Amino acid sequence: MEERLGLRMGLAASLLMLLMLFLFARVPLAAGGQEASSGDAAKAKAADAKEGASLFRANCSPCHGLGARGGGRGPDLTSGRWTHGSSDDEIFRTISQGVPGTEMPANAFEDSEILALVAYLRSLQPLSQALVAGNAGKGRKVFENAGCASCHMVNGGGGRLGPDLSRVGASRSVSYLMDSIRNPDKELSAAMSDPNNHYSVTMVYDTVTVVTAGGEKITGVAKNEDTFSVQLMTPSEELRFFLKKDLKEVVHEHKSLMPSYSESVLSQSDLEDLVAYLAALRGVESGNAKEAK
Amino acid sequence: MKRTFFAAALLLAAVAANAQVSYERLLGADREAKNWLTYSGRYSGWRYSTLNQINTGNASRLALQWAFQVSDLGQFETTPIVVDGVLYGSGQNDRAFAIDARTGRAIWRYQRNLPDKLQPCCGMVNRGLAILGNCLFMATLDAHVIALDTKTGNLVWDVTAADYHKA
Repeated sequence: MEERLGLRMGLAASLLMLLMLFLFARVPLAAGGQEASSGDAAKAKAADAKEGASLFRANCSPCHGLGARGGGRGPDLTSGRWTHGSSDDEIFRTISQGVPGTEMPANAFEDSEILALVAYLRSLQPLSQALVAGNAGKGRKVFENAGCASCHMVNGGGGRLGPDLSRVGASRSVSYLMDSIRNPDKELSAAMSDPNNHYSVTMVYDTVTVVTAGGEKITGVAKNEDTFSVQLMTPSEELRFFLKKDLKEVVHEHKSLMPSYSESVLSQSDLEDLVAYLAALRGVESGNAKEAK
Repeated sequence: MKRTFFAAALLLAAVAANAQVSYERLLGADREAKNWLTYSGRYSGWRYSTLNQINTGNASRLALQWAFQVSDLGQFETTPIVVDGVLYGSGQNDRAFAIDARTGRAIWRYQRNLPDKLQPCCGMVNRGLAILGNCLFMATLDAHVIALDTKTGNLVWDVTAADYHKA
């Protein structure tokens, strides 16, 4: 009995101690409370961004590329440049309503899903790219003199072998443009994909050489391919279609037909001017294409 | 320097390849049985092909060789154009496409981004393309006329033909 009483008193004393500790600790705890709640907000944001990432992967990446780094059709969304408005509200509207006159469709997401997508895109912002140092006017001259227009189209004029560059400034980051010129093989540009078929294989601007039964070698950019056939565009812009059963060989070269413009061909300052020109290419508004030329 | 030559050579090659469907070819469409250069095949509008691989004797035994998905629901109310092995077509909601006629594999796809609240009389259909030179021409449901590059599907120009709000 005595022992038990002692135990109880000991318990009461330690409870009292705890209470006092709590009372003394209240002030600093309260001050720390705000930190805790902003920590929660950050966690919620991170959770949103995570949900946004998976929504993005499933719905947006076929055009905008994995990690939002730009695909064959949709802009790079890590560049820090927002052609159709940079506020959360504007990005929300762009996602929900699409952009008339472009290939960006309206999307039937829940509001919470769009907010998650915005949170995800915001989480990518630290990756934004360096500013362009060059002169766009000079860059235009470089573009003409270096023969770029023989393979690339800008606003309806130019070649067809390589990607159309009319909107490349809106769709690609500066560092991607630099890489593409200096080392075109580093990452082959994505080509046509079906925006409504998320399961299709993304075609890239790969060089493919086929050898016909007669031994003729034909090289071109693959426009499409499946198990039974391959469709090429040759450097002379001819479309050549082949059934694989008629071919001796199909070689995927995993490199671009574009020559690499090393520093001995294109100086660093010319490169910067050229990239400044490309970065300014944002396409022309629908309906004014002719007037704008 | 070598690269400049390479680029110049490509440019020359591109110029040489430029003559695709000339006006003369359209006028003489009846000499190109394997092609279908205008909506009705030729300017006389007969919609008659002189090809005879498919005829009254074997038409009942036709079988599916390939299928191409336009990726949209709706209907075709059009005739495709066929030039040198490429089939150009248009579909619901002003989609256009070029496919390898033998395999059905897409070369390019184009889709017009249409404004909301369009109420055309007879559905969101497109009634076909026309071709001249390196351009395909399409009248859109929002009353624009656009030109697409035959080899890439890139928009070459886009003009407003009428105010679609007044339709």
